[in-house]
Amino acid sequence: MDWAGWALFGLVATAALTAALIAAQLAGLTRLDLPLVLGTLVTEDPDRARVIGFFIHLCAGQGFALGYAATFALLNRATWWIGALFGILHVAIALTVLLPLLPGVHPRMASLRAGPASTAVLEPPGLFALNYGVQTPAVTAVVHVMYGVVLGLLLSAD
Amino acid sequence: MTGGSGGTCPRPPASISDYGLLGDTRTAALVAADGGIDWLCVPRFDGEPLFGRLVGGPDAGTFRVGPGRPATVVERRYRQHTTTLETTWAVGSGRLTLTEAMVAEISGRLLPTTLIVRRLSAEEEAVDIVVEFDPRLGARHSRPRVHRRRHALVCEWGSLAVSLASTPELTVEPGRPTSITVRPGHAVTLVLAVAHREPLIHVEPAAAWELLRADENRWRAWAAEIDGSLPFREHVVRSLLTLRLLTYSPSQAPVAAPTTSLPEDPGGVRNWDYRYVWPRDASIGVSAFLSVGKPEEAHGFLAWLLHASRLQRPRLPALLTLHGRHVPAERALPGWPGYLGSVPVRIGNDAAGQHQLDGYGWVVDAAWAFAQKGHLLYNETWRAVRGFADLVARHWQQPDAGIWEVRTPGQHVHSKLMGWLALDRALRIADTHPLSDRQRRRWQMARDAIATEIRTRGFDPTAGSYVRSYGSPDLDAALLVLPLLDMDSIESPRVRGTINAIRDRLSAGGPLLYRYPPGSDGFPGAEGAFLPCSFWLVQALARTGRRAEAVDLFQAMLEHANPLGLYAEELDPATGAHLGNYPQTLTHAALIQAALAIRDAPAIDPEPA
Repeated sequence: MDWAGWALFGLVATAALTAALIAAQLAGLTRLDLPLVLGTLVTEDPDRARVIGFFIHLCAGQGFALGYAATFALLNRATWWIGALFGILHVAIALTVLLPLLPGVHPRMASLRAGPASTAVLEPPGLFALNYGVQTPAVTAVVHVMYGVVLGLLLSAD
Repeated sequence: MTGGSGGTCPRPPASISDYGLLGDTRTAALVAADGGIDWLCVPRFDGEPLFGRLVGGPDAGTFRVGPGRPATVVERRYRQHTTTLETTWAVGSGRLTLTEAMVAEISGRLLPTTLIVRRLSAEEEAVDIVVEFDPRLGARHSRPRVHRRRHALVCEWGSLAVSLASTPELTVEPGRPTSITVRPGHAVTLVLAVAHREPLIHVEPAAAWELLRADENRWRAWAAEIDGSLPFREHVVRSLLTLRLLTYSPSQAPVAAPTTSLPEDPGGVRNWDYRYVWPRDASIGVSAFLSVGKPEEAHGFLAWLLHASRLQRPRLPALLTLHGRHVPAERALPGWPGYLGSVPVRIGNDAAGQHQLDGYGWVVDAAWAFAQKGHLLYNETWRAVRGFADLVARHWQQPDAGIWEVRTPGQHVHSKLMGWLALDRALRIADTHPLSDRQRRRWQMARDAIATEIRTRGFDPTAGSYVRSYGSPDLDAALLVLPLLDMDSIESPRVRGTINAIRDRLSAGGPLLYRYPPGSDGFPGAEGAFLPCSFWLVQALARTGRRAEAVDLFQAMLEHANPLGLYAEELDPATGAHLGNYPQTLTHAALIQAALAIRDAPAIDPEPA
């Protein structure tokens, strides 16, 4: 297990994923804004939430990178395409499990069961995060595959 | 209580105003005065119809509980400040009361997303009733697979399931009326639960009734928070409750109406799908809720507006789905007979692709209403508003479809006025929010240029009024926003002349107004008086100091509500029949705005009308 590689390259891959997601947002491809979604766990102000959410996302990215690095170590090899395959698995879990479950724990996210007493204003992502735009699953898949490829490449070169 | 199954129950079509609204802020049902739920889409407003008889005919399904023989409705009302509907019939020498509601507050509890509770009770003597449960899903009126599990009837269509439970237990078969007798002191309670992509959650009828009562208490508490000084408070509270019922809680988006294709012209083609969200409605809602002491609802509307428009910013779509997605292309449902033969029955809405300049004015004005109340806009909100103002400054000269969504773009004076409003209110917000000098100058120049062009090309000096579009002699009732803008002084002869001209030349009799001269929109057939316009006239009169006239007009408009205080989009001036999709968010929002204008108007008329 390459601990130094995990510590550095996990940050690089997460930063690349976040940058690609923000670029997709600015290009009008999706409304999914992970720093905002994560940061509003802590604060209501969208601008502050994005900053806080960015760091939460970095931490989460490090956590996932630990899984990638450990699996590469178990397989005794790290390549870009194995990283890409992990990325596909990662995004499948994110879109079908993690994001749909989020309304259950997020204090500022409405759920599809929200009623009149709900003061939460962050829209729930729905299945495959389709509530954030029809291209959201594709964008999310691309950035997660990119995350896996970056980790695979950097850890193989290490 | 006795049971038995009979034949089919032919029912004449109910008038639109005969329907009551049940809602849970996720979807809504329309109930006819005979107890038939003839419209319910699941799992949300824009989902597939489960009961579609309203526009789909007998094959599209219904859920009726009511007297088994002809009976007279003696009272129909909502329980005060709640969404629980009570219908009482005189049947022979007895009385039968149907009390029903949808359970709105289900968060944090093991309850189905859609839960309808209906209780029948008899007084004086036993009454024979009929239960007709015929759920049919979607455009093809698909029949369900039917099972009986535990004490409930379960109907399934793949990922959707519906259960019907009752106390006492009844043997109900879908599509086959069941006759029973209700005796005094022994009420019958039926509970309909819907599950979409999740397991069914069964709720015992007694527990469901308690949920309904708890919901009533919540609605009463909600209504108690509304400003007590409002004129016509009971009517305004009913409109606010209706507006809240038509707001989709998961995204805070106000749906324009819960129905599709209720006709503006019975028997004609003016049938549109309104189960979507117009930013205009959300913006009016922001001001309305803010002004009556409901800032959380206002905040929800504004948050939806900004979130939903994000993908296409700075362009503002004319309408969006409940979750801010593209509205599906318009298509006709084959084989649907329509309400009173009004075909086609459409789903989707092609107005979604239109450029409507006025939308920017409504949205920026909503942000201004928020800022005016002392709320500082988040940076992101202010960025969005700046983007809208920039777009208006660049593109205000282009023709657009206008508020009435005509399908041939034109130079609509109302659109230009709203473009002016967008820039003016953005500049006002900029007094307390950061803005570069260059941007400020650009907006000021564009705002002044719009005003100059409106005054030169959009005003008819002979008639003394602004007109519908450049070079046209026609009027447009949407111009009644004029006194709200402050572009021209409210004492200006131009403002007064426009209000008086609209009142005279677009009058449909009494307090009613056409939105523009009938027959001038390019669609075949006629249409009725447009109800929001009358409330805009009330607002304009109150704003220009003609309070007494405004009050008289408002009172006259209240006479046109259905007995439950609900309004459609239009009214037939000859028959008084409600027309168009129902109930209508825009009409109820306009009613609230009109009452607020009366509240805020000077008490003494400065000059006679």
